[in-house]
Amino acid sequence: MGSILIDQGLEPGTPPEKWNVSHPEKIQKIHLDYFNAGSDAVLTNTFGGSRMKLTAHKHGQSIEKYNQKAVDLAREICPENCFIAGDIGPSGAFLPPVGTASVSDFEENFLEQAGYLADADIDFFFIETMVDLKEAEAAVKAARSISKIPIFASITFQKTKRGYFTIMGDTVSNCVKNLEKAGANVIGANCTISSDEMIDLIPLISQETILPILAKPNAGKPQLENGKTVYLTEPKPFAQDIEQIIKNGARVVGGCCGSNPEFIKEIAKQVKGE
Amino acid sequence: MNFADNCKEAILNGNIEAAEKLANKAIEDKIDVNIAIDAFSLAIRKAGDLFEEGEFFLPELMRSAEAMKAAMTIFKPVLMKGKEDRSLGKVVIGTIEGDIHDIGKTLVASMLSAEGFEVYDLGADVPISTFIDKAVEVEAQIICMSALLTTTMIGQKKLIDQLKEKKLRDKFKILIGGAPISKKWVEEIGADGSAENAVSAVKLARKVLGR
Repeated sequence: MGSILIDQGLEPGTPPEKWNVSHPEKIQKIHLDYFNAGSDAVLTNTFGGSRMKLTAHKHGQSIEKYNQKAVDLAREICPENCFIAGDIGPSGAFLPPVGTASVSDFEENFLEQAGYLADADIDFFFIETMVDLKEAEAAVKAARSISKIPIFASITFQKTKRGYFTIMGDTVSNCVKNLEKAGANVIGANCTISSDEMIDLIPLISQETILPILAKPNAGKPQLENGKTVYLTEPKPFAQDIEQIIKNGARVVGGCCGSNPEFIKEIAKQVKGE
Repeated sequence: MNFADNCKEAILNGNIEAAEKLANKAIEDKIDVNIAIDAFSLAIRKAGDLFEEGEFFLPELMRSAEAMKAAMTIFKPVLMKGKEDRSLGKVVIGTIEGDIHDIGKTLVASMLSAEGFEVYDLGADVPISTFIDKAVEVEAQIICMSALLTTTMIGQKKLIDQLKEKKLRDKFKILIGGAPISKKWVEEIGADGSAENAVSAVKLARKVLGR
């Protein structure tokens, strides 16, 4: 979603969530393109729709409207037997010593957004791109405290010389165990690492849980070429990596930064034979 | 353990109190301030190495940098009294306008300052004119600009273009950072360099100033 909005002219400094109100037809068209490509679920355009994040963009006053509208837009065009995931991304703040936020700041932040999304009738929560396990746990707990619908929780890992870790140093094992304890129903990884790098991560997750695993890698790393953002992975090899990711145990798959409906189409072709 | 080992332990553990104590003791014991600072510098570089090796992560590196800063704060008055200048240079740093991602930039600022640069951190979402005005005001040698988004990377080019227009380009070294930055982009916009992470950023800053 984010990469496409940027392609369509989202100005730097404007929170993408504003487009739920200012360009609803564009948001809806993107959702529709994904459903048509073969997506079973789409994520609402609410990744940065929490109070802490929107306030940093000076849009804190619109939080309820942006979240509500995001779900309505997706719901209006959602085909039968398909789903709407309420997307929740990081707050943008960090715990000491890196930043000055507290766990209760996180809880309050996500409680509010999760509340708006649940009230607007999403099918499940999609908490993603979390680089700090403590923040991810706070988000999962907040969502669980107000709703019984499924929670998908996804961590962003980096591949280091010593294996996969979050930038805060959380291990895969700790992330999976603690997210499960916090109340997540599906656990996995998204962003930063590309599809080929995610293949080996999946077995490390499946060692730790019997819950379904999700994988949403990037389509390579973004590059700016002649003023346009390009990602280096093509849909076909991406879908081949996804096939391997599924073989390694993932049950929910998709694409993060740099992907678009073409990638989903290729995945659907491989997975569902469409 | 000798003084250098103690410094290493304090910095690697991110122990601010211990670092302050050691710095104070060095002054009391009349250890040459340059030797004392060198011991601390060695320790912070070790922390940087551990970060690059994947042994240290953001919190550990940040704690080490804070402990280093605490020690340097204690040495500063002594250095000033002796009219010694160990400052490696002045750096103006910030995340470009429209971009509120601030963590990478903050880490670079902390490491630069721990290493001995005088750092002016302007925060995130910083207008181009603010970068330039501040750099001119403090007579900075380096301007560091961060951008995480490909949409805000353009701001890095704009800043350099504006410096050229104002005939100020030669006054500063321009270092850029952010996940999507490539060597190609550095060349395309005429920046002086970019680094993979905060630790290499410090090395690069020293290099471009020849220090």
